[in-house]
Amino acid sequence: MSLQRLAIAACLLPGLVACVNSTVDQMVFNTPGAGIGDASVVILGRRHASDYETEPEFIRCVGNHISSRDKSIGVVGEQEFLDALYPWFEPRTAPLRPADLERLLEHRDVARAFTTMQTRYMIWIDGSTVRNDSAGSMTCGIGPGGAGCFGFGTWSNDANYEATIWDFSKRAEVGRISTTASGQSYMPAVVVPIPIIAPVQGTACDSIGDQLLEFLSAEY
Amino acid sequence: MSGSMTIGPDRWLAATLLVFLLAGCGTKQVLVQSEFPPPVMNKLPLTIGVWYDEEFANHEFFDEAAGRAETSWLVNTGQAQVQLWDTLLKGMFRDVVYMNGKPGPGQMNPVVDAVLLPAVDELQYAIPAHTNVKVYEIWMRYRLQLVTTGGAPIADWTMPAYGKTPTAFMQSDEGAVRLAAIVALRDAGAHFASTFTSIPDVAQWLASLPRAGDAARRRVQP
Repeated sequence: MSLQRLAIAACLLPGLVACVNSTVDQMVFNTPGAGIGDASVVILGRRHASDYETEPEFIRCVGNHISSRDKSIGVVGEQEFLDALYPWFEPRTAPLRPADLERLLEHRDVARAFTTMQTRYMIWIDGSTVRNDSAGSMTCGIGPGGAGCFGFGTWSNDANYEATIWDFSKRAEVGRISTTASGQSYMPAVVVPIPIIAPVQGTACDSIGDQLLEFLSAEY
Repeated sequence: MSGSMTIGPDRWLAATLLVFLLAGCGTKQVLVQSEFPPPVMNKLPLTIGVWYDEEFANHEFFDEAAGRAETSWLVNTGQAQVQLWDTLLKGMFRDVVYMNGKPGPGQMNPVVDAVLLPAVDELQYAIPAHTNVKVYEIWMRYRLQLVTTGGAPIADWTMPAYGKTPTAFMQSDEGAVRLAAIVALRDAGAHFASTFTSIPDVAQWLASLPRAGDAARRRVQP
């Protein structure tokens, strides 16, 4: 094989992705027919569990997915929202039911902050992506003549997320979406390791983002 | 006389390997620094004094490695503690006054309704290498004392705070522990702000205040 062909192969291989299986369940009680208008939506991660934590980057990914596909929807950043309403949305103090919002609004400044942000929907996402079933082995070496790896590794990732939609104006839960995704990643190595990664978390983000768009956007 | 010394690639490689080996033996140091948001709540109509003792203001936690395979940890939270409590108290009370010295008989201090003395009783940490769970955790226990300017006790209680952060791609152990500590400090602020008026001795004291008691009770959060 010529040097040129090797170079082309080396460029193309990192672009390989493994397959991902994804399932989405949706349960919606009351969809806004004409979208949410000028109101904004905030997406927050639930962080009550002791053995996992909803990843902040997943929350950002879902927010970006929504705002990039429908620019009329204002998505308030998670950290911005948590800081603006500190300490009422920390893991210890966050409302667990829509009715608990009433208690928060007794604080004059909290009510004012909600009015300023025009938050119509609050979306809570709970879940995580975990790595399971790793197998294989890889050996890497370095010497005066160069370095390289040899071997094969494989692992599976499983993502499991649930989004709960609260209508802030009605203080009620109006929808629930859950998604699961799983995929097997591979890493063969003959001198150079070639990662063939299954984008499990990204697929879960797209799935849940698309479903939320159907709920929030007038265009979908 | 002039001259130059040339180091061969083999020596560079050996030096680099030595640096990597030594790096694994040192203490992992974490300096916790952060800005904290002010609490959004109705202020209590009180003038509160605060006294940070030296140990609190320079609080650090040191965990010495038990074996050669482990690493020592030094977590310095003092600066962040002061930053958090300053911001928190200014958002919770009408006025915050720094004391000249620890309240006690004969100590000259400004006149305030009460003085808060925060202290970190205990700090523990856990990293994935310890627990096989992919989160970094920090747990703290505070001892909080509310006293008069003369040092007479009003209330004395302990308060836990907990913070965790998930593992992330390209994130160092130090960075993750720092983030977990910031989450724990925010949790401490949330815990204090949401429970202060319901601590039995504090509630009793608030009720006994002749001029501010009723207003304070009306304005506290549910």
